[in-house]
Amino acid sequence: MPLQGTVFNIQRFSTHDGPGIRTTVFLKGCPLRCLWCANPESQVLAPQLMTRDIKCTGCGACVEACSRGAIVLSVDHGRIIHRDQCDLCFECVDACLYKALSVAGELKTPESVMETVKRDEVFYRNSGGGVTFSGGEPLVQHDFLYEVLAACRQEGFHTALDTTGHAPPRVLEKILPLADLALFDIKHLDPAQHKILTGVDNKLILENARLAANITRTWFRLPLMGGVNDSEEEISRVAAMAREWGVEKISLLPFHQGGEPKWAQVGLKSPGFVGHTPDDEHVERLAQIIRDNGIVAGIRS
Amino acid sequence: MTTMRPKGNIQDKLVNKAVRNIRKGGNQEDPGKSMYQPGVKLDLQRSVLLTQAYRETEGQPMVLRRAKALDKILSSMDLYIQDHERIVGNNVSTPSGLYFGIDMAWRSVRRVVDQEEGKSLLDDAGRKTLDELIAYWDGKAMSDIQQKTFTGEILESWKFENSGAMSWSHWSELGIPDYEKVFKVGVKGLMDQARARLDEIDRTVPPDYVDQKEFLQAVLISMEATLKYAKRYGALALEKAAAATDPEDKARLESIARTCSRVPEHPPQTLQEALQSFFFLHVIRYIEYSTLGIGVRFDKVFGPYLEKDLKNGVLTRDQALELLQLLWVKFHELGLIYSPSLSAIYGGVASLQAITLGGVDENGEDVTNDMTYLVLECAETMRTPEPTIALRYHDGTPRELLSRATDVIKTGIGYPSFFNDKAILPLLKKWDAPLKDSRDYAISGCVYLEIPGKNIARRAYGGIVLPAALYYALNQGKSQFTGKIVGAKTPDPRTFQSADDLMDAYSAQVEFFAKRLCTLENTSQTLYEKYLPRPFYSALLEGCIEQGKESKKFTYPSAVVNLCIMIGPTNVGDSITAVKKVVFDDKKVSMDALLKAMDANWKGYEDIRQLMVNAPKYGNDDDYADAISAQVQTRTAQAMAKAKTRFGLPCRGDGSGLSATYAAGSIIPATPEGRYSGEPFADATLSPVFGMDQNGPTAVLKSASKTSTVDSYNHLMNQKFLPQALEGNMKEVFVDYIRSWGDLGISQIQFNVVDKQTLLAAQEKPEDYPDLLVRVAGYSAYFVDLSKGLQDSIIARTDQSF
Ligand code: SF4
Ligand code: SF4
Repeated sequence: MPLQGTVFNIQRFSTHDGPGIRTTVFLKGCPLRCLWCANPESQVLAPQLMTRDIKCTGCGACVEACSRGAIVLSVDHGRIIHRDQCDLCFECVDACLYKALSVAGELKTPESVMETVKRDEVFYRNSGGGVTFSGGEPLVQHDFLYEVLAACRQEGFHTALDTTGHAPPRVLEKILPLADLALFDIKHLDPAQHKILTGVDNKLILENARLAANITRTWFRLPLMGGVNDSEEEISRVAAMAREWGVEKISLLPFHQGGEPKWAQVGLKSPGFVGHTPDDEHVERLAQIIRDNGIVAGIRS
Repeated sequence: MTTMRPKGNIQDKLVNKAVRNIRKGGNQEDPGKSMYQPGVKLDLQRSVLLTQAYRETEGQPMVLRRAKALDKILSSMDLYIQDHERIVGNNVSTPSGLYFGIDMAWRSVRRVVDQEEGKSLLDDAGRKTLDELIAYWDGKAMSDIQQKTFTGEILESWKFENSGAMSWSHWSELGIPDYEKVFKVGVKGLMDQARARLDEIDRTVPPDYVDQKEFLQAVLISMEATLKYAKRYGALALEKAAAATDPEDKARLESIARTCSRVPEHPPQTLQEALQSFFFLHVIRYIEYSTLGIGVRFDKVFGPYLEKDLKNGVLTRDQALELLQLLWVKFHELGLIYSPSLSAIYGGVASLQAITLGGVDENGEDVTNDMTYLVLECAETMRTPEPTIALRYHDGTPRELLSRATDVIKTGIGYPSFFNDKAILPLLKKWDAPLKDSRDYAISGCVYLEIPGKNIARRAYGGIVLPAALYYALNQGKSQFTGKIVGAKTPDPRTFQSADDLMDAYSAQVEFFAKRLCTLENTSQTLYEKYLPRPFYSALLEGCIEQGKESKKFTYPSAVVNLCIMIGPTNVGDSITAVKKVVFDDKKVSMDALLKAMDANWKGYEDIRQLMVNAPKYGNDDDYADAISAQVQTRTAQAMAKAKTRFGLPCRGDGSGLSATYAAGSIIPATPEGRYSGEPFADATLSPVFGMDQNGPTAVLKSASKTSTVDSYNHLMNQKFLPQALEGNMKEVFVDYIRSWGDLGISQIQFNVVDKQTLLAAQEKPEDYPDLLVRVAGYSAYFVDLSKGLQDSIIARTDQSF
């Protein structure tokens, strides 16, 4: 069987995941469980059934299609999916004419990904853009990732890896030489807080960050949550680390509430995280701290 | 410098004369609203003077009558110089007047002023005057002459207007004078040329000696009248200067007087003289004949004067900017009255004026200069609907220019639009224009391609509604209104073996309607030639004085003549694609079932509609859909080319759909791509059907690039962006996007920056906007899926960007 990866989205005209106009390939599967996760469909590796209730007309075609009887129509709640009975055959997705059901996660060969990626070559060339691999955590599918990165190299495309950094160091050592840029997420410097927020310790991540910066050009990306990880002290420490390790740029990504509907779309309960959006002035102060360390600061990019 | 500023803000001087779009086809949608802006009036002075002149010249050769009428108007119409003005000239007698071409058509105007829609346009005395004028013009105006002339086949064509597949109108004629030539020799020089030609024909006595002689005499009368008009302005300025108490005001008026004493008679020496000379010619062209558009290559023509003035210390840059801003106010004054049905097409337009910037000179060198940037600054500060700016793009276009253009687009005004030399020069070559000429192309209004100074009086004479042609292909030419056959008798669609059969039937319908339309236009052109010659405008073109021929008597030796507006090719593309996929490839629905579903306007057939909607769509870089769309475009062009102009040149299409795409849909039944009866068509010839492009703006360009520019026609493409997409460092990305558009060889693009209102509406009625994507911090999301708080914050950010 040819090598395949589980891809949940390929987004063209992606402009915030590295320089220029890019195509971002989102790979499924992630070892972290961030409370604020905006792409919950990216967490598990396997394909998932996704719903968009706003498009559902209650026509019942999916009920007919489902041999497991996992879907019922109710007067009050429209179409309800009993996910415990669902075996992910996705017959209902084909049956739904209204695109109210979809599959998150498609098995694709490296060639098929490249077919899409190559389509925007003219835009990469004009903008200094290229291809970004994101997730989930793209390193989860490192064999597949390696193949696609190598193919991008072959085409002369600029490549970037958007990573949580939570992977065995040998995986980074295998993958990063093929990435022109690492976009490395730093979520919190305090191990205990990190564990609460993401479900994992940050020791490995921070070690890997240094490793990444050693191997390839690296930028840090900081999701900023008001009162959680946006203190001036925290940012000063990240900036100092970045300076020491030769990280070029730190992107500040202020948190916005609003990813919740997607949790329900994959049949999950949102962790109910309530965060605060740091105000613009504060973010600008943090950016200044970064600049004072001789590092490029990006806000929302 | 500040002492030179006119009192108050120049923007305050703008009067809006744009006709409102309150109609969708024949139906008034917004009954509370008037078609016209409050305060504007129908100006009858031109009509009164024209009528007098016509009465006085009964029986004389038409070309002389027209010239004498122009002389009468220019010698006696009321002139005004407003307190802020530095550039003067007007085609009506007051700043709030609307131009009225009574010699062209009056019935629809009569209807307008009699109805609620235009009641405020005339007072009682005006109505009485109008009645008297109409008593004279009844039977003599062009539309009357034309209707009397139509018999047999042509009369039949005229009635085809009711098919919904084509429309035809007298209204607009554009055309770009050779300003560079006039600036070189002055009107005086043109008169010398006309006299020389008169001498010559006296020696050679050509077979059309009398025609030539009368035409050249008419040229001289028209030019003499032009000089009189300028001198009258000079005198008025002097008179006002003498009465002026404020020394600045006096100086301003004296400078106007000085300028008017020199131009347009002599070659201009300064920027003010050049702009004044140009504007006189521009308005007189409007006075002579019902005209729209500008088309001048503004930076190429005026840049040298700016450079010279700056070098000689005649002007500062700020003073030059102010001159432009004042000129922009003047452009805005040129409103005209529209018939109700035309308001559905021209809604939002005063007189459809566009200017051109950038591009190459005759040697292929980039023309960008200081004036290019000054015009953009003027546009950015004035934010007027007109003139729109067409920016010609080529490999040598400076990045800085694109960057400045992006600033202007970001204001949300919708221009500059970009025209790609890489696509348009080959297209003009295919249309037989010599390279030297094609390199000088300009846009006169909307996307009308013209070559300045060449005899291409671009006339937007009508349009073909392509999805209607498709409708007829699916209904054997039967009318949706009467059931009678009004199109080509194509085979029963139930006998079609493949989508190609549908494509063939569609082509046959396009050819049928194009031929009808051409018959109508060709007949009218001969009537225009006979009854509405344009000696003034002819003199500003190459070849008319030289040959002693009025502009309608010959054509520029290429196929770049009258173009006909194309509406909805991408709807047709998506429709044929859906039929191929669902009916012929997947065989999920029979042709018969599809026809029934469409007849029922999909009512009770939502499952079929969804299958059609879910078929591949143009605009997603999907090769299946794009190939069919591209084929529709070329097949359409081929079918149209079978219709010929009266000079034997193929009929050519043009993408300038204006708001007609919206109106045209209102009477066309359901179409196979899933459109409901009455819904509008895609807003431009290369735009995806609304909401069907799901793969982002790069995929849209890739789809568009698969349509051959050379083998189809002149296109228009609208792209919508959120204002965020042009902000901060995204601006560079936007510029790169434009450069990629250039590399892809797409002929045109223009940008709509989605405004706050849309987002608010989406918040209000999410079910209408399920696919509106927005960028949030590090990811994209459907706007309607976001919390109200986030929506609010995005709306707030949208606000900040303006
Ligand atoms: S088929 Fe689709 S639209 Fe119909 S009930 Fe199921 S999910 Fe809803
Ligand atoms: S994926 Fe298969 S089992 Fe699950 S709900 Fe759909 S049809 Fe039923």
